[in-house]
Amino acid sequence: MLSTCFLSFASRNSQLTGSLTLVSRHGEIQRPKPGTGVKLHFKDSKGNDIKTVEVNEGDDILSIAHEHDIDLEGACEGSVACSTCHVILPPEYYDLLPEPEDDENDMLDMAFGLTDTSRLGCQVKITKELDNMAVTLPAATRNMFVDGEGTSSH
Amino acid sequence: MRRSLVQSGPPMKLAVIGGGPSALYVTSRLLSLLKNEPNIRVHVYDRLWSPYGLVRYGVAPDHPEVKNCTHKFDETAKDPRFRFFGNIEVVPTPPFGSIPRLPSTRLGHAVQLPVSSILPYYTHLLLSTGCTLPTLHPTILPSALCIPALSLVHWYTSHPSNPPTPPLHQKPHVSIIGAGNVSLDVARILLTPPSLLSGYDLPRHVLEVLNRSTVKHVSILARRGPLEAAFTAKELREMMNIPGTSMKHIPSDLLAPPPDVKVTRQQSRILQLLQKGSKEKYGTTEKTWSVDFFRSPTQLSSAAGETKGDLPLTLTLSHTALDPTTHASVPTGITSQLHTSLVVTSLGFQADPSSTPFYDPQLRRFRTLPGGRVVENQDGRVIKNVYGSGWAAGGAKGVLASTMMDAYNVAETMVEDLVASDATDSVASPSSYIGVQNGGVERGEEDSEKRDILEIMNPSASLYSLPPEIASALPERKVVEFKDWKKVDGEEVKRGQESGKERERMGWEEVKDFLGLKPAWK
Repeated sequence: MLSTCFLSFASRNSQLTGSLTLVSRHGEIQRPKPGTGVKLHFKDSKGNDIKTVEVNEGDDILSIAHEHDIDLEGACEGSVACSTCHVILPPEYYDLLPEPEDDENDMLDMAFGLTDTSRLGCQVKITKELDNMAVTLPAATRNMFVDGEGTSSH
Repeated sequence: MRRSLVQSGPPMKLAVIGGGPSALYVTSRLLSLLKNEPNIRVHVYDRLWSPYGLVRYGVAPDHPEVKNCTHKFDETAKDPRFRFFGNIEVVPTPPFGSIPRLPSTRLGHAVQLPVSSILPYYTHLLLSTGCTLPTLHPTILPSALCIPALSLVHWYTSHPSNPPTPPLHQKPHVSIIGAGNVSLDVARILLTPPSLLSGYDLPRHVLEVLNRSTVKHVSILARRGPLEAAFTAKELREMMNIPGTSMKHIPSDLLAPPPDVKVTRQQSRILQLLQKGSKEKYGTTEKTWSVDFFRSPTQLSSAAGETKGDLPLTLTLSHTALDPTTHASVPTGITSQLHTSLVVTSLGFQADPSSTPFYDPQLRRFRTLPGGRVVENQDGRVIKNVYGSGWAAGGAKGVLASTMMDAYNVAETMVEDLVASDATDSVASPSSYIGVQNGGVERGEEDSEKRDILEIMNPSASLYSLPPEIASALPERKVVEFKDWKKVDGEEVKRGQESGKERERMGWEEVKDFLGLKPAWK
């Protein structure tokens, strides 16, 4: 039973983030009726699809990830005191968002794999114009360390 | 020797030494990775009576949001495969460390549990003992007027080690040696108007002392420049925004990076913050602070004849410069003197040799491979099914997010090894040793080859038995289990609400009475 569960572990570079489910906090946000919400595509660091979800305007990316069992941490629970919900957005969507505040930038400073279009998931509220946005989770720790520490682009 | 995980006994019965954030993040990830596996037990031992380690006894009281991570730990603790044993001090026994204990680190009321009693009862061991000792200054040693920052942190968090109350009356000038976030935490607590702190998780006795404090200026001494400072932008910004407090202007030549140096995003934001200065203008506030870069204290004297009443101490500061190749601070030969009332040393933390089995005196912690596998000191053998995580394995650095990522990495390695041992009964496939991480041990190519293995755990340990010391301490009510902690937690929050604050912490004596515990007096 155990071995079957963890076949994905046979390969060191398996998509850990995609295959695991963490304890999540369901029920904090409402899911829209199918066909009526804004579409978001969650992807892993290599660009592979994890899940496409439909969400309501006003929800933030961290809550959405938790609602849909996507492995995005929120250690401080959305109070901008950590960088665990770091996500990477496509430039054309990043530019649609208001600039990050100082406190968010302070935390992004410490995020692994920071890019020019990085945000904290808890601070990104969904609007209609973000429909079909890809949300990329940064490289997992493991890959960071195996590849060396210099993968961040800042 | 192939064994089936499901048929021939428990796949994993893990003892975790230490109940701080690293330990609990590893546990959380492990139980979630193995969520469909009933034959798993995780027993977390902590020498303190409460869980959460530095999240409870290190995070600054005015950073309550950082403590939200305990909600996740509490979820983990609901897993029936998890148990917490607080007030249990694991003591190294030969041949896993025979260094005599330092009396100052002992907690008299904790039950002593020798490592040798753990090994026969567990298939796996995780060492998450943290860095519990302050790194001291080589020449400026602790005294009544020179306090390690850790003592102050322990004081304002009511740590069970019970440090003395710092003398803050008639002390207008405090000098903090070191420029990291702990330095800024201490400076912020000393400078913030106590009325703004009263709603936080700050013990009543601490607030009373802060109310009587006469601290007017905090001088932060950094032996290198602003590009090398260890503090982060969030903490620096908080310093800039303390009401009624201002920062002394820093000469602009110190804030211009050398032309050939490419500054990181974080460095450039810190330079900008230092350039912009404090919200309130220097000279207009009652309280002030300064960062003195390129100043390395070399001597502390208390010649009463030379100095005046409130400033009885003199720090000799060596003016330093940065060696362009090594980035170390080197003395320029110039010195100056700083008159002060109280010195706080904030130079980092290190593992306690007497609480860390497999301690390597050269590394000042134990030796680990990537993924946290612990390696034996003498001949580099991998100790099968023994892992290390957090500060004890990687040194005292980083924020909660980095502790979490390290912990998840270790948990994933443990599961990989478990699956690999199911298939081949070996520790892991050789490919998993590639890379350099934890512990600063650069082994490179060497690690791509299979190492000899030392086996000290009991692969057929029963899921249900406990070390004899624990089995007898439980009915004697000497152990704090998680459900006990949650009772205390609820009571602390309730007592806090009564006086309009986050919580009112309980000390050991109160906890003992509240829970009806009987301490193991030694």
